[in-house]
Amino acid sequence: MPPSISLVLSNSLPISLRAFSRPRGSLNSFPIDSPPFFEAIFLFSISSRKMERHNSPASASHSQVIEVNIDIDRDASKFPLISNPSPTSNNKACRGGTCDLSYSKDSPERWDSMRKLVIAVVLCIVFMTVEVIGGIKANSLAILTDAAHLLSDVAAFMISLFSLWAAGWEANPRQSYGFFRIEILGALVSIQMIWLLAGILVYEAIVRLIHDNGEVKGFLMFAVSAFGLVVNIIMALLLGHDHGHGHGHGHDHGHGHGHGHDHDHGHGHGHGHEHTHDHGHNHEHEHMHSHGHEHQHEDQDHEANTIPTKHQHDHSHSNDMKESLIKKGNKKPKRNINVHSAYLHVLGDSIQSVGVMVGGAVIWYKPEWKIIDLICTLIFSVIVLLTTIKMLRNILEVLMESTPREIDTTQLEKGLCAMNGVVAIHELHIWAITVGKVLLSCHVIIAPDADADRVLDEVLGYIRRDFNISHATIQIERH
Amino acid sequence: MQEKKDAMFSYQFPDGDRRLAFSRQSSFRHWDPPLPSPSPSPSPSPLLRSHSFKPYLARSDSTVGMPLLEKPGQKDATWVALILAAVRGVANGSRPMKRLALMISLNVAYSMIELLLGLFTGRVGLVSDAFHLTFGCGILTFSLFAMGISRKKPDETYTYGYKRLEVLAAFTNALFLLFLSFSLAVEALHAFMQDESEHKHYLIVSAVTNLLVNLLGVWFFRSYARVNIVYWKPEDMNYHSVCLHVLADSIRSAGLILASWFLTLGVENAEVLCLGIVSVAVFMLVLPLFKATGSILLQIAPSNIHPSAFNKCSRQIASLEEVLEVSQARFWELVPGYSIGSLSVLVKKGVHEDRILQHVNGLYNDLGIQDLTVQIDYK
Repeated sequence: MPPSISLVLSNSLPISLRAFSRPRGSLNSFPIDSPPFFEAIFLFSISSRKMERHNSPASASHSQVIEVNIDIDRDASKFPLISNPSPTSNNKACRGGTCDLSYSKDSPERWDSMRKLVIAVVLCIVFMTVEVIGGIKANSLAILTDAAHLLSDVAAFMISLFSLWAAGWEANPRQSYGFFRIEILGALVSIQMIWLLAGILVYEAIVRLIHDNGEVKGFLMFAVSAFGLVVNIIMALLLGHDHGHGHGHGHDHGHGHGHGHDHDHGHGHGHGHEHTHDHGHNHEHEHMHSHGHEHQHEDQDHEANTIPTKHQHDHSHSNDMKESLIKKGNKKPKRNINVHSAYLHVLGDSIQSVGVMVGGAVIWYKPEWKIIDLICTLIFSVIVLLTTIKMLRNILEVLMESTPREIDTTQLEKGLCAMNGVVAIHELHIWAITVGKVLLSCHVIIAPDADADRVLDEVLGYIRRDFNISHATIQIERH
Repeated sequence: MQEKKDAMFSYQFPDGDRRLAFSRQSSFRHWDPPLPSPSPSPSPSPLLRSHSFKPYLARSDSTVGMPLLEKPGQKDATWVALILAAVRGVANGSRPMKRLALMISLNVAYSMIELLLGLFTGRVGLVSDAFHLTFGCGILTFSLFAMGISRKKPDETYTYGYKRLEVLAAFTNALFLLFLSFSLAVEALHAFMQDESEHKHYLIVSAVTNLLVNLLGVWFFRSYARVNIVYWKPEDMNYHSVCLHVLADSIRSAGLILASWFLTLGVENAEVLCLGIVSVAVFMLVLPLFKATGSILLQIAPSNIHPSAFNKCSRQIASLEEVLEVSQARFWELVPGYSIGSLSVLVKKGVHEDRILQHVNGLYNDLGIQDLTVQIDYK
């Protein structure tokens, strides 16, 4: 943005128009039909020129709210003219841009996940058509039900894809926190579908038990479920495969303050490992970074300023850490929750395929032992349900607006109260928009003689630095 | 008579009919007394409300001391203790809770009987019905659990309290009903393609019983038997979802009965028709609830406040002399009836913040935002 327009804005505009010169994405302009961006700049420049000439306040013809995105650099050193505030600068408010309440359009992580999901969907559809054709030709119900199972897989992938795509929408006044929550709801729907499918499978096992007129062909069941298992394993590898791309480049740090950063505070506060909590992540940990994490953890405990130490450990433990600009090198590529829920779906399906295979083999081998089929299916369904519990717990915590697990509230409070000028803290609310994006709001009571501005800066800096919470709203009150 | 009936159900409007008063709600302020901490923690946590600029008690907040579901400080409760605590919670609960518990127990008993009968007599239809009922019962139990636990006071981890769980339970109910309508459509398609309709006949008894039980449930929650409801309190959503659940179930049973009757009359494709109609009906029934609960869970701006009101408020603040800019105003609903917001105000240097805080808080309270955090930046 040329600074000339900003100068015009701050000096010669009446208050009512100046109030609208705020970053895009904030609430208070709700234009019914907002003019597009460049038109707005054009209109604004015209109106400002008119006002310079006539030196009169804006005429009443401006009945439409004009929303302009202009970086007002009142203090150029304090608010650099970049579109997104870097995590280490001391911005009090997000000037310009949507301050990562939505994915930036070229986020590599997003495109990576979307690509994986699209490939999975295509594969699924191909396999499904193969199975449907085969089932109709062989006139077998078992194959058709397996094809329906694959259809449910496609539905789960579609939900994940939609959530990923929707997370890139920009925040608007109605949806002021962006669209990240959609992925949580999408994951909830996916998990409900997994439960539903587990129930349906148990029901089918019972039906097989009841129909003892031998029309169930064990061999066919075995073959179909083996095929389904192979398909599911291929897709699980595709979706869960994070080893290679994980660390090197853009995955976490591509846009400077995306997901990568938001997970750093996981290390520092006693729950470093709890942060990634699924099987897939565990083996990533083990062969790369487990040591790195322990060290960071200890350092954080002992020293107040752990940044250089962490940095050094980063280098020593991960060789493909290219960004040295990023102080807190996060080496855990947090799997996108959408991809993860799709992965869970596929995993559950493969577990159930194994169960059906075992049942089919049993029926094929000894058709009298049908009860084993039912027992097997029950056991495997329970296993599938157990795999979803962890994700369900996360989803529940986010949806209940509870304090995320990785934030240590007592340390936060202690640290805040220990600052000079701060007397007490009220109404501390920390909640997450999605797993990894945390917001904070609290009321801070300061001593009557303290400088509110300075205290605000300190508090915000502390929160941003140590807990990596980028959106904090602090209400300062005096005693 | 209506008044008396209204008084019986605690969810009716205690302060008069507020459906017409949506703008200036200043009559509902009252001072927020410092809440005694119910848990035996030695120092009151700063997370509980205090005498700061946090004004006015939410309408849906209850200061009546309800016995908590679980004794605080008792970490590992055995299963027996949990069940006992659940029973005690229900027995002390509100009237809708008791009715819901009654309904759930009826449904569970009925589905058990159906399952055993189906297994022993070898009828698949009974088993599938039993499964269906069990799923529904599970979801209703979650609603009941949400009702019970929503009265707990906010604590360290759940700083906003447990009311959100009711919204979540309503959302789960709505989701289940959507799945139900989808599965009914699939069943209709199945019946259309297979063209084999004799197996529905012996389900009549089970369908009739199901219908009776669900109609009892509809009668319990009859004030909520509407499609579009304005939600004033979080319990409203939960009750509405339960009512829609039983309503949808009874429509489904009625549809099955009707279909088999038509079949005996000799109407072709009666099953397909009835199932299709039922599926569409359930879908239309549940869609507004789904959208409302979804918009709360997605943190969409409060729906009962018109967006122009927000603009007006921010303009009013910006027109103050000391205020330079109002930015980053975000609002969301925790539960229906309780909205939270955060705001950032840029003022000139050296301005005392109390007056501004009071003014801003007053403005937004009139709008209905109970919990507002205002960050004052100095230029």
